[in-house]
Amino acid sequence: MTQREHLRNLALLGLLALGLLALPQGLSVYLTSFALFTMMYVVLALSWNIISGFTGYTSFGHVAFYGIGAYACAILVVDHGWSWVTTLFAGALVAGLVAVAIGYPVLRLKGPYFAIAMLGMAEGTRVVATVWDGLTHGGLGISFPSVENSTSTYYAMLVLMLITIAVAYLVAHSRFGIRLNAIREDEVAAEALGINVTRYKLLAFVLSAVFPAAAGGIQAYKVLYIEPQAVFFVQITIAMALMSMLGGKGTVIGPVIGAVLLYTAQELTWVNFPTAHLIAYGLFIIVVARFMPRGLIGFAIDRGWVRKGMVH
Amino acid sequence: MMPDANGIALEARDLRKAFGGVHAVDGCSFAVPRGKICGLIGPNGSGKTTTFNLLTGLAQPDGGQVLHDGVDIAGLKPYRIFRRGITRTFQITRVFREMTVLENMLSVTGLAVPDRVARERAGELIALVNLTHLRGEYGGRLSYGQQKLLEFARALMTDPDVILLDEPAAGVNRTLLQQLLEQIHRLQETGKTILIVEHDMNVIMNHCERIFVMDYGVKIAEGPPSEIQGNERVIEAYFGRRQSGVVHAG
Repeated sequence: MTQREHLRNLALLGLLALGLLALPQGLSVYLTSFALFTMMYVVLALSWNIISGFTGYTSFGHVAFYGIGAYACAILVVDHGWSWVTTLFAGALVAGLVAVAIGYPVLRLKGPYFAIAMLGMAEGTRVVATVWDGLTHGGLGISFPSVENSTSTYYAMLVLMLITIAVAYLVAHSRFGIRLNAIREDEVAAEALGINVTRYKLLAFVLSAVFPAAAGGIQAYKVLYIEPQAVFFVQITIAMALMSMLGGKGTVIGPVIGAVLLYTAQELTWVNFPTAHLIAYGLFIIVVARFMPRGLIGFAIDRGWVRKGMVH
Repeated sequence: MMPDANGIALEARDLRKAFGGVHAVDGCSFAVPRGKICGLIGPNGSGKTTTFNLLTGLAQPDGGQVLHDGVDIAGLKPYRIFRRGITRTFQITRVFREMTVLENMLSVTGLAVPDRVARERAGELIALVNLTHLRGEYGGRLSYGQQKLLEFARALMTDPDVILLDEPAAGVNRTLLQQLLEQIHRLQETGKTILIVEHDMNVIMNHCERIFVMDYGVKIAEGPPSEIQGNERVIEAYFGRRQSGVVHAG
C-alpha cells in the first residue's frame, strides 16, 4: 500500500472518530448503548481476526479473554475500590499473561484440535469463575453500585475500538503481519524460511487477547452486573468468528463491516421478530457460508473490485 | 569464523532417520564442496527428501551429524538453520497460496531489515524469474512452473550461502527450466553452493559437477557425472541386478 493510501485511511479513521465522538449528543440512551455494543463487537471481531484470520488458528474460546477482563473489572472495582478505567489495563494484562500460559502449549495444536482446546479453555475459565467463590462470588455474580455510566463507557469503548483498529491495521500492513499470513498458509514452509513460528503465534495470540479483555471490562461496568454464564457465553465467541467471516477474515475492514452488519441485523430481527430471530440468524449464516465463503471482502476481491494482498 | 573458500560447505556424517521400522536414512555420509553444484539422486524411496529434511531441520535425525562450515547443526530448529544461510525449495511446491507473489517474497526477510531494502530485493528477484507482471497475483493462482520459480526466487531473498533444490525441474516446461538452470549457474558464479535432488537425468548429468547416489538410505556412489553414468552399483540400484530373479537384494 502506498503512503497516500495509508494517509487516506488515517483520514477516514479520523473522520469516523470525530463522528462517533459527537454521536451521544444527538442520540437516545438506547441508541448510544446500541452504538457502544456495536463498537464492542468491532473490537471483538478484529481481535479474533488477529489470531484466527491473519494467523489461521481458529479460536472457539476467545470469550475467555472477554470474561477475564469483565471479572478483573468487577472484582477490582467492587472488592478493592479501584477506579474502573485502571481495571481495564489490569484485565488486559491478566488476559495477556493467560494467553502466554495457555498459548504456549495449545498453539502447538493444529486446526480443529486447537479450536476444541480453546473451547475447553473457555469452558474451564467459566467453571473457575463459578466455583471460586472467594475471588469471584461464584454463580451469583457480582453487582456494581449503581452509577451514571452511559457516556463514560461509550467513550471508553470508542477509544478502545480506535486503538484496536489502529493495531490491526499496523499488523496487517507490516512484514510482521505478512509473516503471520505465511504461518496460516503453510507453517512448515514458514519455519523453513526463517520464521520463528512459536514466537510469532504467541505474539499474535497475546495481541488478540488483550483487547477483548478491555472490552469485557467496559461491558461489565456498562451493565453493572456480571455472572459466569453471561460473560463466558459461547455465543460471544461464535459472534466474533461469524462477524469476521461475514466481512472477510484476514483483512482489517472485513471484521469491522461484519461486526456492524451482523450486530445491527441481530438487533433488528430481535426487536421485530423476537421468535424468529434465531432462525433468521441461522439462515443468514448458511447463505454467507454458501455464497461468500471468503466474506464480503473476498467476494469483492474475486471480482477485481479490491486488490489482492495487504501490501502492494 | 571465515568459511574456507575451497572447503566443505555442508556435510552429512552417518545420518540416520527411521520412521517406525523403516530406515529411511541409514547411515548416510557425503560432503558438498563450497561453490559447486552437486546432485543427489537415487530411485524413489531411497531417502533423498528425508535427507533434505534432516539437513534443513524439518526432521530430527536419530543419529549422525550435519556440519555447516564445520559446525554441527543437526537437530536445530528449521528457522535457525535457515538463518545460518541454508535455504531450500520443496518437491511439491509450498508457495503461500493466498498471499500475493510480492507477499510471498517479503515474508522471508527478517524484521530487522528495513522495508525499503526488502522491497527492492523482492522486486529484483521477481524480475529475475519473470514474474513481475504477476507480483499482485495470489501464489495459488500461478501455474505449477511459475510456482516453482516463485519458490526458487523466494529462497534467494536472504542471499543464502547454501541452496537445496528438491526436484526443481519437475513440472516445469523447457523454457522455464532453461531459465532456472541459467539462474542456478549464475548463483554458482557468485560463490553459492547448490545441492539438487532431481529425477531428470539431463539436468543432473549436464549441470552437476559432483553427484551423490543414494539407495536404501545410504550413499552407494559418488563422483563426477561421467563416473556415475557407468557405475555398476548405480545402474543396479535403478534397474536391478543383472542376474535374473534378484532385484534390490540387500
